[in-house]
Amino acid sequence: MAGSGLASIVEVTRYRGRFGQLDWVLRRLAGLGVLLFLLVHVVDTATVYFAPPAYAWFINLYRSPIFGLGEIALGGGVIYHAMSGLCIVILDLFPALWRYRPQARLVVWALFLAGFVPLAAWMFVRLVEHNLLR
Amino acid sequence: MAAVTSPQAGPALRRGNWGTLSYLFMRGSGVLLAFLVIIHFVIQHVINDVYTLDLNFVAQRWSNPGWRVYDAFMLTLALAHGLNGSRIVANDYILHPAWNRAVNLAILAAGLLWIVVGGTAIIGGVRFM
Repeated sequence: MAGSGLASIVEVTRYRGRFGQLDWVLRRLAGLGVLLFLLVHVVDTATVYFAPPAYAWFINLYRSPIFGLGEIALGGGVIYHAMSGLCIVILDLFPALWRYRPQARLVVWALFLAGFVPLAAWMFVRLVEHNLLR
Repeated sequence: MAAVTSPQAGPALRRGNWGTLSYLFMRGSGVLLAFLVIIHFVIQHVINDVYTLDLNFVAQRWSNPGWRVYDAFMLTLALAHGLNGSRIVANDYILHPAWNRAVNLAILAAGLLWIVVGGTAIIGGVRFM
């Protein structure tokens, strides 16, 4: 299993699927990353009922610089996975549009950047304010 | 010599139907989640942030039953979408039938457990101690 996982990483660099394949890999990684946080996030929020004092411990952890950067990455993962996924849904719904796939992928990246750049800047300023300027 | 059958015949067709259901679910839930999650993210990380988040904030948010329904809906859809996605990824790499079955069952069990844990918290609400 670990072997085939490693093999697939090597194959990514060898298989000439080009952009479509890279988008697919990125969408999968983004999805798995968001899922990892979702599983942790359900546990942290569930403490409000199961173990309320533990909630502050989780929130303090999220306030640390490392998790602050992770929070920005989470935003990026959500936006990329959503835009790339919506693109696939629209193209699958109207197969005639598949011939515009190269342009569609630019639209996905434009929407991603339009959402992520201001979001990351906003969150990064908050991160610096709360961690370094106090 | 065994008779050549259509790849669509028998169990293959049943698998095909599950695959189709899974495919349609991923697309339907994906479209809903794109909106639900981005709205959730903007409220929690842009309008508010982790520096103001505490038990009072959650209690205030959940004092509106609408947000509890929203969160319960998002919780269920996100876990089902995410874990089904991880199952699809796992099926690409874990080919040994016994391991594949074990991983599929583990993912299903994790999904049910997480929905029960998250759902209980949403229904039970914040307990101040």
